[in-house]
Amino acid sequence: MIEVKEKTEINHHGVELWASRVLRLGVWISASMMIIGLLCMAVFPSTIRSTDAPSLIALIEQIFSGNFNSTNLLFAGLIVLMFTPILRVFTVLLGYIVERDWLFVAISFIVFLMLTGEIVYSIFIKG
Amino acid sequence: MSIVSFTLILLGGFIAGTFGALLGLGGGVLLIPYLVIIMNVPMHQAIATSIIAVIATSSAGAVMNLERRIVHMRLGMLLETATVLGAICGGITANYLAPSVLSKLFSGLLLIVSFLMIWKTYRGSGSEKITTNGILPASYLDEASKSTVKYTVKNIPASMGVSLVAGNISGLLGVGGGIFKVPAMHILSDIPMKAATATSNFMIGVTAAASAFIYFAHGRIDPIITSSAALGVLAGSIIGIRISRKIHSKMLIWIFTIVLLVISVQLYLR
Repeated sequence: MIEVKEKTEINHHGVELWASRVLRLGVWISASMMIIGLLCMAVFPSTIRSTDAPSLIALIEQIFSGNFNSTNLLFAGLIVLMFTPILRVFTVLLGYIVERDWLFVAISFIVFLMLTGEIVYSIFIKG
Repeated sequence: MSIVSFTLILLGGFIAGTFGALLGLGGGVLLIPYLVIIMNVPMHQAIATSIIAVIATSSAGAVMNLERRIVHMRLGMLLETATVLGAICGGITANYLAPSVLSKLFSGLLLIVSFLMIWKTYRGSGSEKITTNGILPASYLDEASKSTVKYTVKNIPASMGVSLVAGNISGLLGVGGGIFKVPAMHILSDIPMKAATATSNFMIGVTAAASAFIYFAHGRIDPIITSSAALGVLAGSIIGIRISRKIHSKMLIWIFTIVLLVISVQLYLR
């Protein structure tokens, strides 16, 4: 019985560690992209494009088509940062699935679903 | 944008982040008035900028709290259902409100924040009331006393109600909302102050992300202003947290209470 309890606690801490890793990685990647983007803008002002926010899909298309100016780098850094907490929710959801804690799988799924709904709504109003 | 404006925003973000962490406010409460009053950034854009800065500081802070196991993650996930719903509604509403209305709402928010800041400073620092017959049992290691604090949570619907309102304010006005959630979780649900603060901070990143995409879709995010302010606030909050371990000045709280009241009047009159 004691062994089972200890195992559960270790797993529980595992979810916390994975969540913290996701957050750390997200902040580092996005901050690095923003710093590089701002430095590029300062050193090569010609790489600055219109600062009007593109739509989410247009931005992703531009990045994948190799159209990577410093403005897009900043937008991409911001998007990575905005997705970081959502990825954290998804990580916690997976953690609870591994722990077979179905009540909290459902709760995490509701949070994840609402956030997905927000993104769909955003794409709907901007394209 | 000129290099001078860029530097001023970076610096302003840094100062807002440092004092935000020192006062336990988060960066948004000081960043938004700075951007609006001094840098003449439109209100919606300032709110969007603050939302992004809040994601950065909350995520960085949560890393530390998760590793120290102070966050009550199950409670955080449960309350996130309320904050996320509130924030999405707040984000949608804010984008249809006039800047002058948002300025007045923010002005009112600053009055409440000033009061809560004073309350937090003068609440007794005696032993905390801990409930052991509630639900969602949890524990954390208190570094000051080197002892494990075990607690349970009571009256979750009340904390969920406050979380819904805090999430709504976050989406509407671009702040984290921790200043509302922490006292509520502590008073209504008997969660120790340290765990309430860490759990609230853990939730704030997701709450902010719940309105960030809406502001992005409405074209409220200027990449240069937002990136420089977010980096400034992030760096400032890291420094602020380190200094706050050494400084506990009631004088600082009173100075900033007056500053917030002056800002509140200025925003109301805009």
